[in-house]
Amino acid sequence: MPGLRAALPAALLLLSSFPPAAAERLPWPQVPGVMHPLNPSHREAVWAAWTALHYINSHEASPSRPLALHKVVKAAAKMIPRLGWKYYVHCTTEGYIHGENAGSCFATVLYLKKSPPVVHGKCVHAQNKKQIQEEDHRFYEYLQHQKKPITANYIPDSNGNIAHDHLQLWGLAIVGSSYIMWKQSTEHTGYLLAQVSSVKQQIRKDNAVAFKFIVLLHEIPTQQMNVCHMYLVWTLGHPIRVKYSCAPDNHGLEDGSGQDSGSAAGTSHETKGNF
Amino acid sequence: MLLFLGMAFSLGILIPGKFSLKLQYDGDQVLHIVPETLQQVQHLQHLCSTLLLDLWKPLLPEDIRAGEDLHIRVPAPLVQEVKDSLDQHTISYNIPYKQSGSHSELITSSLWTQTFIYQCERILIHDVQELVDQSTPETSSQKQIPESYSYTQYHPMEEIYTWMAQIQKNNSELVTQHYLGETVENRTIYYLQISQPSDKTKKIIWMDCGIHAREWISPAFCQWFVKEILQNYESDPKIRKFLQNIDLYILPVLNIDGYIYSWETARLWRKNRSPHMNGTCYGTDLNRNFNSSWGTLGVSYNCSSEIFCGTGPESEPETRAVVQLIERKKSDILCYLTIHSYGQYILTPYGSTTEPPSNNEELMRVAQTAAAALTEKYGTSYEVGPTSLILYSNSGSSRDWARMIGIPFSYTFELRDKGTYGFVLPADQIQPTCEETMLAVTAIIDYVDQKYFPGGATMLTSGSLGLSLCLTAVLTLIVT
Repeated sequence: MPGLRAALPAALLLLSSFPPAAAERLPWPQVPGVMHPLNPSHREAVWAAWTALHYINSHEASPSRPLALHKVVKAAAKMIPRLGWKYYVHCTTEGYIHGENAGSCFATVLYLKKSPPVVHGKCVHAQNKKQIQEEDHRFYEYLQHQKKPITANYIPDSNGNIAHDHLQLWGLAIVGSSYIMWKQSTEHTGYLLAQVSSVKQQIRKDNAVAFKFIVLLHEIPTQQMNVCHMYLVWTLGHPIRVKYSCAPDNHGLEDGSGQDSGSAAGTSHETKGNF
Repeated sequence: MLLFLGMAFSLGILIPGKFSLKLQYDGDQVLHIVPETLQQVQHLQHLCSTLLLDLWKPLLPEDIRAGEDLHIRVPAPLVQEVKDSLDQHTISYNIPYKQSGSHSELITSSLWTQTFIYQCERILIHDVQELVDQSTPETSSQKQIPESYSYTQYHPMEEIYTWMAQIQKNNSELVTQHYLGETVENRTIYYLQISQPSDKTKKIIWMDCGIHAREWISPAFCQWFVKEILQNYESDPKIRKFLQNIDLYILPVLNIDGYIYSWETARLWRKNRSPHMNGTCYGTDLNRNFNSSWGTLGVSYNCSSEIFCGTGPESEPETRAVVQLIERKKSDILCYLTIHSYGQYILTPYGSTTEPPSNNEELMRVAQTAAAALTEKYGTSYEVGPTSLILYSNSGSSRDWARMIGIPFSYTFELRDKGTYGFVLPADQIQPTCEETMLAVTAIIDYVDQKYFPGGATMLTSGSLGLSLCLTAVLTLIVT
């Protein structure tokens, strides 16, 4: 019945752009205060682990050695009345850049309705902390001494290649992007860095190292690519500072008149502190 | 008698160059075996001793070791018996010195005669005489696969089109390229059918790649898979066994327009390139466009979304192309596989409901076996389970649709990695990804083959029948 088929989507469009959120109900009874064990390979546990790692990468990890999720070992969730769901995650980690065993983390992730998730995490590092600090130090000095601003495009490139010289730049982008991804994560939406579109060093008068990045963040489950303009300032020994602005990647609309058909407006945020 | 002479005469004419009419070929064969287990070693030692086979390497049966090369010369009258015995113990062997496939082009008579003579040629040319004459073995794989094609690189669509045509040309006895349909931008969609010549009707296993444009490792895997099947067809009895009753339909790139767009314009494009809203918005997510609870969960009705499900179920020509073929052949299709990235999952139905399919237990078991086989290679770990539980809900997927119309085994593979490179998987990971995935896919094929064609009989094919007749013919000729 082609007529009916054509009419149905049009009718639905009038109602909303998205179908009923049946998929977004959590699959366990919502009794406050009770700890529900989660299947460690299911999405709720995996995404809580990634949210925790995004927070840890942006606040604690080093630009030379950001962390990636290896596997969730154990997970549970508890409803905190009036606040939201709190996830308890134990996961193993690996080095984001080289994939080496990086130890494990215990973290709690409390998803709030109108603020970024509250994360408390503690990691046991398999790697040599002193060695990582030295790598950071060397990288920092190298960046400080650039007379000409470093620039690069597409890390990794279309074939997944990253020039050796760009590996730590990638690390820096990961750390900065993790800040954005942590802030944007919800119980039902997760993020991963898909690609660094461009990076341009900004030479500063003070000793800090600064970069302008454009990064593409893969949003799950919407599959959207978000284009984020990120201004990152790194002072050795201090957490990175990030100012950012994201919008869905509308390359599909570039072909036409540029009309934006209902996607979310861009969001601008920055960390505390002077830029 | 006249018939046998006739056969021998035609053999003499058909085989160019080095082979004379003198019929001095022994029909002996040298088999190359690498035993894998102690049991296999013991069986081989037993065979060599009881049949008094001529061991070339090592020299003594007691020196046969697992993991080490074994070369045995088998006298002509014993060839079939030895091969049967090896097959029964699942010991794989190959015959190091083969003629190229081009000889079969010279045969123009009936199918029966074709099979007969082709088998004769394969065996007689393998003989020991030949070995002595030649100094370097020629691997048949050089002739079967385009020589300069790299399977460890990503290829643009033009090269994949050329590759498909070449694969068919160089392997015409096994491969045919078929028209499936056309894309939105009027590009032709082809699939490859790998089919062992036979008068039987076969069952089918279908595998498609490249539904989502940015998942480049997916078409790379389909090409790798075809190459592996063709390269190992001669030497791997497991492949020959399942191809006896099962045809493989492989679609290297379904979303051709999207794939080209991801090469030329936007690397991270996902959907097809259908225009909407007067050309101000492009693309439907083909994996939300199938008629499996279409438009209900995990989709958007907004074109600018990456999970836009289209204007209706099967609204896209790419979707319809797949649907019309699979519908037509569904009573013969045993298994539907669809390859995506990333995440490292083998996903079972359904995405549109948490209600499991009737054969869920079996689907899970087989998928777990496949995942275990995959992990064995490089330690890569895959999760197994229904999409709706492991990942997120979605409706309109091809995998759900295939299961809903009755194809019993239906799986989505999400290949490497788990998100650090994601869609831009480095080319140096193509080989390990494909090698490990190959093990998983063949585990599924093997299971399906064993389930629907139990018994492991490799005996009574027209091929081996012809072979026995051929050897008898030669012996008769030599004796008389």
